[in-house]
Amino acid sequence: MQAEKQFGYRRDELVGQKIKNIIPEGFAERLTADALRSVEDALSQQIGTGIELRARRKDATEFPIEIMLSPLESAEGMLVTAAIRDISVRKQAEVHLLYKVEELKRSNEELGQFAYIASHDLQEPLRMVASYTQLLSRRYKGKLDADADDFIAYAVDGASRMQRLIQDLLAYSRIGTKGKELQETSSEEVFEQALLNLRGGIQDSGAIITHDPLPAVLADEMQLVQLFQNLVGNAIKYQKTGIPRIHVSAAKNGGNKWLFSVKDNGLGIDSQYFEKIFVMFQRLHKREEFAGTGIGLAICKKIVERHGGNISVSSQPGQGSTFEFSLAGAESNA
Amino acid sequence: MPIEVLLVEDSPGDVRLTREAFKDANKTIHLHVAVDGVEAMAFLRREGAHSHAPRPDLILLDLNLPKMDGREVLTLIKQDDDLKTIPTVILTTSEAEADIVKSYQLQANCYLNKPVQLDAFEALVKSINDFWLTKVKLPQQRQSG
Repeated sequence: MQAEKQFGYRRDELVGQKIKNIIPEGFAERLTADALRSVEDALSQQIGTGIELRARRKDATEFPIEIMLSPLESAEGMLVTAAIRDISVRKQAEVHLLYKVEELKRSNEELGQFAYIASHDLQEPLRMVASYTQLLSRRYKGKLDADADDFIAYAVDGASRMQRLIQDLLAYSRIGTKGKELQETSSEEVFEQALLNLRGGIQDSGAIITHDPLPAVLADEMQLVQLFQNLVGNAIKYQKTGIPRIHVSAAKNGGNKWLFSVKDNGLGIDSQYFEKIFVMFQRLHKREEFAGTGIGLAICKKIVERHGGNISVSSQPGQGSTFEFSLAGAESNA
Repeated sequence: MPIEVLLVEDSPGDVRLTREAFKDANKTIHLHVAVDGVEAMAFLRREGAHSHAPRPDLILLDLNLPKMDGREVLTLIKQDDDLKTIPTVILTTSEAEADIVKSYQLQANCYLNKPVQLDAFEALVKSINDFWLTKVKLPQQRQSG
């Protein structure tokens, strides 16, 4: 019944037909070639896995099908039954999905470009606002009246905060638009570089930073420096009054993946914020407590994801935090 | 002898900011302004209203300008036997690698980014004064175009 509907033949027309009559030119040859091989050979290859083909109706129109072959032991020897399924709808869905994926990729790239261009162009007029309010403040402070001093101070503060936001936004969007190709990189050297960049904060806080041997990974070196720098920088920054103790290690995590961890003895984070801290411009503290725009971990997340990995945190308030991220090992390490 | 500087810059805000910064850095500098590439070339070639223009000791050139942009101005300066010995410094907000490479290929004497912060901008203008207008030795002879 089903076959009559699918192929447009009546039952008596269909029985005894050669298979190549219902399959378009070319595909029939492929099936014939398969048939010439030993039954076992053909079966072992194709049983259980559907073969996708084009089928031809009586009126010569074509449609996609999937054929499933199954062996059947019988008195006359090995028989093979074939189940044919019309997969037009599935094929259409696949094409649609591919189209959607392409569209998504394009709109993502556009969005990245947009963020970059917008923040770059916003910087120009803002530079004027910030510079001239700073000049006003410098030249006229105490020469107008107390209100004027207040107003100018708020304008200066607002403009310079906006400049930091825009610079952070630019840094964030550069990860996608200005990233380099991933190359074999010594994460140990990169880590040392990050510590060098942080030396001021390390000295001021008296932080004790230790690490295990760190592996070679596939990475964009500059971005990996930034990743370590942000994570270790945070570990130093979000501290009680004690001396920051930070330990960095890496462990094999199945296949050629490495799981890095940056463990600190800092303030710790309540579990309800574990996701939120990785979102752009999300902050857990008042500006007076800890400076910053809330971009650091969003940048970390974007860097790790660009490298095909994941980043997460485990922590308890008052017990310190451990940030973990995965990276692919360098090929020579596999 | 006063020091003559030609600033090629279309934004009035930037012009004033540069003027203020040079005032702080060195009172003997005469800052001349051209608001686009065409006016800059007229100034350098002493054409039209600029027939009495002095030969600048330094050119500060923005890249993105109306009418004729900084790259074209730079090309014309460095193709001109008389003008090409004038140090030409690119002063722009563009951080694009392509702009940096192109500028040096066109023989820019150096490439500087306008800093976002006022303090940093003033410090940059001071260092331009200390280096290009103080320490650098330039050909003595001031040719007339």
